[in-house]
Amino acid sequence: MSQAAELTMEKHYDPIGSRIGMWLFLFTEFLLFGGLFLLYAIYLNKYPEEFHYGSSQLDQFVGAMNTIILLTSSLTMVLAVGALQRDRRKLSIFFLVTTFTFGAAFLINKYFEWGHKIELGIYPGSQELTQHPQGEIVFYGLYYAMTGLHGLHVIIGMVIMLFLLYFLLKKSHRALSIKSNQIQNLNGKRLLLSDETGKKLWKSQEITSEVTGMDVVVKGVFTEEQLKSSEVKLENSGLYWHLVDIIWIFLFPLFYLVSM
Amino acid sequence: MSDSVAGSLAAEKNFYQEKTHKGILAWLLSTDHKRIGIMYLFSMLTFFLIAVFLGFLMRLEMLTPGETVMGAHTYNSIFTLHGVLMIFLFIIPGIPAAFGNFMLPLQIGARDVAFPRLNLLSYWFYLTGAILALLSLFTGPGPADTGWTFYAPYSLRTGTNVALAVMAAFILGFSSILTGLNFITTMHRLRAPGMSFFKMPLFCWSLYATGWIQILATPILGITLALVLMERWLGIGVFDPVKGGDPVLYQHLFWIYSHPAVYIMILPAMGILSDIIPTFARRTIFGYKAIAFSSLAIAFVGYLVWGHHMFTSGISDTSRMAFSFLTFLVAIPSAIKVFNWLATLYKGSIDVTPPFLYGISFIILFSIGGLTGLILGALATDIHVHDTYFVVAHFHYVMFGGTGFVFFAALHYWGPKMFGRMFNSKVSYIAWGFLFVGFNMLYFTMFVLGYMGMPRRYYDFLPEFHSLHVVATVGSWILIIGIIIMFVNLYRGFRYGPRATMNPWGGTTLEWKVPTPPPLENFDKIPEVKHEPYYHPRNQEERQ
Amino acid sequence: MSGASPTTGAVDSVFIFIVAISLFFLVLITFLMIYFIIKYNKKRHAKAEDIHGNTTLEIIWTVIPTIIVLFMFYFGWKGFEFIRNAPEDSMEVSVTARMWSWLFEYPNGVETDTLYVPVNTPIKLLLNSQDVIHSFYVPAFRIKEDAVPGLQNYLWFEVSKIGEYDVLCAEYCGLQHAYMLTKVKAMPQEKFEEWYEQMRQETQSTYASSDSTQMSIEASPKTSMAGSRLVQTRGCMACHSTDGSKMIGPTFQGLFGREVVLIEDEKEITITADESYIRESIMQPNKKLVKGYNPLMPSQEGQLSDEELNAIVEYLKKL
Ligand code: HEA
Ligand code: HEA
Ligand code: HEC
Ligand code: CUA
Ligand SMILES: [Cu+2]
Repeated sequence: MSQAAELTMEKHYDPIGSRIGMWLFLFTEFLLFGGLFLLYAIYLNKYPEEFHYGSSQLDQFVGAMNTIILLTSSLTMVLAVGALQRDRRKLSIFFLVTTFTFGAAFLINKYFEWGHKIELGIYPGSQELTQHPQGEIVFYGLYYAMTGLHGLHVIIGMVIMLFLLYFLLKKSHRALSIKSNQIQNLNGKRLLLSDETGKKLWKSQEITSEVTGMDVVVKGVFTEEQLKSSEVKLENSGLYWHLVDIIWIFLFPLFYLVSM
Repeated sequence: MSDSVAGSLAAEKNFYQEKTHKGILAWLLSTDHKRIGIMYLFSMLTFFLIAVFLGFLMRLEMLTPGETVMGAHTYNSIFTLHGVLMIFLFIIPGIPAAFGNFMLPLQIGARDVAFPRLNLLSYWFYLTGAILALLSLFTGPGPADTGWTFYAPYSLRTGTNVALAVMAAFILGFSSILTGLNFITTMHRLRAPGMSFFKMPLFCWSLYATGWIQILATPILGITLALVLMERWLGIGVFDPVKGGDPVLYQHLFWIYSHPAVYIMILPAMGILSDIIPTFARRTIFGYKAIAFSSLAIAFVGYLVWGHHMFTSGISDTSRMAFSFLTFLVAIPSAIKVFNWLATLYKGSIDVTPPFLYGISFIILFSIGGLTGLILGALATDIHVHDTYFVVAHFHYVMFGGTGFVFFAALHYWGPKMFGRMFNSKVSYIAWGFLFVGFNMLYFTMFVLGYMGMPRRYYDFLPEFHSLHVVATVGSWILIIGIIIMFVNLYRGFRYGPRATMNPWGGTTLEWKVPTPPPLENFDKIPEVKHEPYYHPRNQEERQ
Repeated sequence: MSGASPTTGAVDSVFIFIVAISLFFLVLITFLMIYFIIKYNKKRHAKAEDIHGNTTLEIIWTVIPTIIVLFMFYFGWKGFEFIRNAPEDSMEVSVTARMWSWLFEYPNGVETDTLYVPVNTPIKLLLNSQDVIHSFYVPAFRIKEDAVPGLQNYLWFEVSKIGEYDVLCAEYCGLQHAYMLTKVKAMPQEKFEEWYEQMRQETQSTYASSDSTQMSIEASPKTSMAGSRLVQTRGCMACHSTDGSKMIGPTFQGLFGREVVLIEDEKEITITADESYIRESIMQPNKKLVKGYNPLMPSQEGQLSDEELNAIVEYLKKL
């Protein structure tokens, strides 16, 4: 008589751990920009007039548009996360794509804004800018550095969204492998796959001493944990996207509105 | 339940490792914390030996006035590279990345760190950064010559390969952040049942504090270095006085990171020492909580004292005063630790083994380094000794005398566990003698030189400093002899020595309760923790 | 306390105070450590005792060091206040640092590359830099302060003994950092007055003659002499040679009329060095770079008067 061996899945996915990790990471991102905000504050104090003048040269309308775009994208991101939590995978994908599109729109806007300034010869190291007062050189230096770095974050956020789309579209599968030294323990037994209610789904052949290793691959979306995993992934990317948004919320008044 | 094969199925991970890759890739692509730890150890040792050699060359140049073995330009590049390699590639990642990676999961009873793949990623970052740093040597207009501090505006003006060196430091910063984040999460989530925070070994506590510094401070360095790059490539002007920038701001940002970074270097060493002393004194640590909390105190107060590197840079008198005051406060937790270690020796049953000897040297050398730190922290005296060999002596005492000696201690202490073999203790004692004498001859001399007014980063010197420079250089030779003896001994031991037992030192923490060397996944069954970390059962029984 | 300057004593006494306490602790710690290791060696003391801690002790060794370091802080700060606050009646000399030399400018317009001072008179130095950060350091006086471009720092001292004292640059500033040396020369009050007056007259007479327009032919040997002195005091010789050897910058030898390859906005252009080019090279050196050199030369804009610039150009033309 062979006996079924029980395969307890090692609990190796830890959603709380992932969240802690993500929050710590977001914290480092805040600090990264924090350094820049500090610089901005100090130079604003040193060159108030030049900063006000520089700010008045930026296009408030484009800035405001971009603010609205990013805020809306944050909303669609929240909706994407919510949809997945309610198990509405398709809807979630839809909102994710929408968010991605908003991100792209933001970048296009930024591209034209920067392009215009560069056409006017106002960029770091340009002949034109060196003629301007020092405070303005610093203002534009910071403008390009900070919005540039922020733009980079938007791009990273979008790349992450692509990865997520891939995860959401992909059929999940799960692979277990049993090493040779553990096989010995299973000698004379069978592997058994059952669902929560205890219903037997599948049973393997008896494991004999000839078996030296085993891989079991199960396809399809099935475990709680699996779902949790993409949910937390999406949630964490959502957090990242909100960070991108929040940083912009600081950048916008600093660069576009100080002149008012 | 007895049929359960729990622990065998940490699914993808095994699959990933055992099936897919062989040979060197089985290392480079391994997410096993022990393999990553060992990879870090060997990479680090390589860069460390290069940097040691550069230090040796510098001493050779300083043996005589004028040009001896190299010109001024080479000298300037060499101390820069020596500093960059030592700081960013060796002593900052040093203990956490090598021993922390290997020991932390073992010590808290976990199978791995919280994010094994992130761990591997951070090693790759490390490797990339290291390769970039070395590339900066051979490409473009030659190695950077700015000092490891990259002070603007000189770093913006010089024609050398600063960009590559800065980029290297930037990437290494990322590696450091990921390690810190990983460790903190690991300690929050993966402690074995029964292991409360206050049952963790003190090494874990020190890694916890270090992790927070890595997270809190490194991003600032990242952005500062990124700005230097943008300055050099685009000329954005934020640090360039010609364009309206303020070079002193660069120093602020640099030290906001780099002061806390010195505690990244020392805290893990203090943690290891807090594990070693109870092991060889055969008794529990004195003042566990005091040591644990003082690590946290150092981590957070250390964040507020960066200005003490800038006492002569023209910051306001008020801020000089405030920074000096805070600097003195940060010295107190270190004092608390020193006194607790001493008290742990009291009424112990002390076994003077090589790890103990190397470890205990820390107390003397670090005290000298730390107490001279007080001279640097006092306003009046720092004005005089700032940027002189006094500072050079101070930081070699704390970094090398402190962290370096504990690093050696850790190699002796944990090496047998990691590599499964024993070294020859006698040779280790001899090596220690050379190291200790050579070290003090080399660096104590520098205190005197510094107080006499010998500035650092000087390629040449005035005649009155000559005799002391000779003493220092001879000291460096003795030191190097010690290093060579020690490494050869360790290498031979770990390669060909007798097999090490599971617990050669009678340690009480969890890493001594798994086989030597530890298997993949560490524990067959996650242990349940009942006692404080330094519980010596023998002491309890005999007392009853 | 005696010393080369009152600031010396102020620093040394703080130093001795901290060292004494440190030494006490160091000896205590080392002694206890060795004593415990011997007394509680496993040979003599086979059975260890677990002592988990003692709150009273913890408090003692937290509070005592705290008190001690507060004293250290206090004395450090008091000493600093002294070396920081220059007496009202100090003589002010402005100091310009640049790679890799010092320029001292006295209130009466005299410029030197060595600092001459009268003894027993407080001297306040106003520090400035033309290029990167330097640091003015006189070990004998225990004083140091950075010379930062775009910022004016200061320090003071008062020489008590006649003699010469080394001045070093303590902030790393590039290739010749170790050779950015000069001296403070302290002389008796009367001798200083004499020197001071003599220098003033010399300076004035040089330019007085080159000022007068009709004397251009006659003046030229004189301006040339002034030029050669200027390139010395202005530190040009740190980077340029007059004998054809290549240093940080191109040599001055045969500069006038030479073909020079320049880089402007990443493009190469070739020109012949004429007077206006030399002028521009001195006033805006980084606008067009000589090929193969780095943008290291400090701009002389606002540093050289028209006459001085003329004198230098005249001098360079002759080399
Ligand atoms: C491992 C690294 C490390 C550590 C732990 C420290 C620890 C300390 N450091 Fe150090 N330091 C550096 C690495 C480190 N430092 C480096 C690399 C530089 C130079 C960077 C550069 O410019 O290139 C530097 C420079 C530096 C300066 C700037 C000098 C200058 O450039 O002018 C100062 C000034 O305050 C300072 C102070 C201190 C103090 C007060 C401590 C304290 O934490 C020390 C505390 C320890 C003790 C006090 C000793 C133990 C206690 C006792 C023995 C009990 C008795 C104690 C009392 C009664 C108080 N350090
Ligand atoms: C960890 C840091 C570290 C270490 C170990 C050393 C080691 C040495 N240093 Fe280091 N040094 C620095 C960090 C370090 N240095 C820094 C940051 C600077 C400032 C750079 C700058 O100004 O920008 C500096 C500057 C500096 C100067 C001043 C240059 C100047 O200002 O002109 C000199 C001068 O002689 C010098 C000499 C030496 C020598 C001879 C050695 C050694 O060669 C002596 C021999 C040492 C050993 C042989 C072993 C030490 C072992 C360990 C620390 C741990 C071992 C661990 C493993 C093996 C994994 N160093
Ligand atoms: C820190 C070094 C440094 C100092 C000090 C310095 N120079 Fe230069 N100088 C250079 C460098 C480097 C170049 C070449 C790059 C360039 O064109 O800027 C140069 C170029 C020149 C040229 C153009 C030479 C040619 O061959 O075309 C002139 C003229 C000149 N310097 C004059 C002076 C004078 C006058 C002074 C003093 C007031 C001076 N320099 C001080 C570094 C220096
Ligand atoms: Cu000027 Cu160093
Ligand atoms: Cu510091």
